[in-house]
Amino acid sequence: MADSESGISNQVLEPSSTHPLGSPLVPTLQNVVSTVNLGCKLDLKFIALHARNSEYNPKRFAAVIMRIKEPKTTALIFSSGKIVCTGAKTEQQSLLAARKFARIIQKIGFDIQFKDFKIQNIVASCNMKFPISLVQLAAFHGKFTIYEPELFPGLIYRMKTPKVAILVFPSGNIVIAGAQKRDHIFQAFENIYPVLTSFKRNYK
Amino acid sequence: MSCKCGSRSTFRDDVTGNLVCSECYTVLDFDNYDAQIGGINGPQGTNIHIGYAGTGSLFSYKDKKIFQAKTLIHEYTLNLNMSYSESDVTSMINEITEGQFGGGDWFNVLIGASCYVVMRRDNRFLPAAEVAEVVGCDVYELGRMIARVVKFLNLTLPEVSIAGLFERELNNSMRLANVDGEKKERMRKQGIFLVNCSVKWFLTTGRRPLPIVAAVMAFVAELNGVEGLKIEDVAKEVHATVATCKLRYKELLEALVKVAQVLPWGKDVTVKNVVKYAPFVIRYMEMKSMEEPGAVERGENFDLDDVVSECLRKVAEFGDDKDYIEGDSQYFDGRDRSEFPRIYNDNNIGNLKLSHECLSMIYTNFLNEVDDDRLEGQSGKVHGRKSRGLELHACKDWWSGKSELSKKLLLKQILEKEIGLDAMPPSFIAGCKANERRRKKINAAKVRINKIIDPSNSGSDGSGNFCSSEVVCAGKKRKRRQASEIDWEDFVIETLLLHQVKEEDIEKGHYKALLGLHVFNSGMK
Repeated sequence: MADSESGISNQVLEPSSTHPLGSPLVPTLQNVVSTVNLGCKLDLKFIALHARNSEYNPKRFAAVIMRIKEPKTTALIFSSGKIVCTGAKTEQQSLLAARKFARIIQKIGFDIQFKDFKIQNIVASCNMKFPISLVQLAAFHGKFTIYEPELFPGLIYRMKTPKVAILVFPSGNIVIAGAQKRDHIFQAFENIYPVLTSFKRNYK
Repeated sequence: MSCKCGSRSTFRDDVTGNLVCSECYTVLDFDNYDAQIGGINGPQGTNIHIGYAGTGSLFSYKDKKIFQAKTLIHEYTLNLNMSYSESDVTSMINEITEGQFGGGDWFNVLIGASCYVVMRRDNRFLPAAEVAEVVGCDVYELGRMIARVVKFLNLTLPEVSIAGLFERELNNSMRLANVDGEKKERMRKQGIFLVNCSVKWFLTTGRRPLPIVAAVMAFVAELNGVEGLKIEDVAKEVHATVATCKLRYKELLEALVKVAQVLPWGKDVTVKNVVKYAPFVIRYMEMKSMEEPGAVERGENFDLDDVVSECLRKVAEFGDDKDYIEGDSQYFDGRDRSEFPRIYNDNNIGNLKLSHECLSMIYTNFLNEVDDDRLEGQSGKVHGRKSRGLELHACKDWWSGKSELSKKLLLKQILEKEIGLDAMPPSFIAGCKANERRRKKINAAKVRINKIIDPSNSGSDGSGNFCSSEVVCAGKKRKRRQASEIDWEDFVIETLLLHQVKEEDIEKGHYKALLGLHVFNSGMK
């Protein structure tokens, strides 16, 4: 499977050319979650016994947890042959990490394939550098927002297009989650930036 | 159900209805017990058949389930002091479960969530933490259920009113049960005023409301001389974490200290003694809040220090010790009067709604208090030290309670009010400080790197200030360290700088992400 086929971006912390940022800030990618199917059943106990970087406690969780150092990622390996790879900082890193996990399982002795690789979630964060009035934001954008300080300190903004969730905190920090493409992160940031600016708390 | 003969095969006698063993025809006595205690009319009360062998067992199971569910709803609504809404809660659960109700742990959470939603929907106040404690689940579990209930019923809940929560907790407090009605009403108004101020100062945004409620309650109790109400007790009563309540209390005091800085004696006000000065500060805030929005722009010719000087003159006229005046002159002599906020027009002093007698009396009182305190080194109760309590509560004139902020207001109305301080959220301030600290660390790291690259040129800038700990002074542990010590953060910053990472990115503090991208990235093309 070629990288170009899966549409994986090689860019590092740079917005795509299709969405040049109008705002002076750029969100930082914090986590990329991907899945891949190895196309065969896996004996998790066998993997756990033969791979030194793995842990398996079927009473706690029905998957082998395997970690590698470069790229620093963690994989959840299920007996169905599916792998969830988390902790990468870019899509490219996530692909590389998934390939490394697949190679480890192959070397243990399973006849694997590497198919259906997909980026499932990209998480990014950014500091807006100004405080935000969450209550006012919730009052004016009630249709898209959930703000329940008793339950969660941040405001949850569910954007329709692109379909992402944005967590907004009064300190000005925001977290964009749920995107499947890097462009969605930057597009969501472009959309939310003027909204947040309008709810910037002004001081005399 | 088996017979004594060992057979499990039974049938029901058509005439008597008793269960009979099909092997030995013994009448089984398991489900036909009939207590002969009801006299000639037989037993009274609810008769529910249970078990698989009874007639219509499925129907009986449903009846029992609904009966138990309604009992549980009754019990929880009673414990939450909302028996008047029991029917609303029952009908809501009936609608959600399509008349099936339910059993098990999830059903308890559903009852709790329904109670919370009913109260919020009706603009009444019930803290989620209290509901969670009554139904025996954690707040997050309850929150998820509340979200599901709201989504299912397509409701729009009104915003949480912290002032309303404060009022509820004040009224329900067992420790304040003995406080007389007038004082309690006064505490209520002062508390709501301070809660509204906290909202304006961002002390409540993005935080759970109960700790600030506890902090304000402890503060007004101390201000009004209510004995035996410690913040730990209040925290326990309102189901909030003690440490968080103390933190909010500290933040509230800090905000009051900031407000007090505009007063002539503002520099003397610290977190430790602000409770003593609180009547002045609150009075000042109350006056500011009662100003008309355009008043500041219109008449900027009135000095607050004039008011205080006037008060002090009155103190002298009343025959008080001249030393007071001499002692207080430090606050006014040689200072530029323009430093103090001008509120009203000089020529229109009669319009100022401030009682001179009151202010002078309070000031005399607080001088006594503060002087005594300085001698005895005493402080407030909240920090766990011995206190002899306040006597200021004897003078009640400083509090008028006429400000709009003493009432429950909408956020918009609160934000429109001017109370003498426009604070930023503590988390934002902390973030700015962290950025500044990182910037200094980056600069120090650059100096260190330059020194190693070019030792001959290292002293040229004359700084020699390359140890991060010299520029960092956060935390007690750090202070104890040697001045020359460099911590892990400095090494990470050095590494990132050596890998050509942008300084702006390092300043954000996402070290792990940057290390993953620029340092531990050897496998990438």
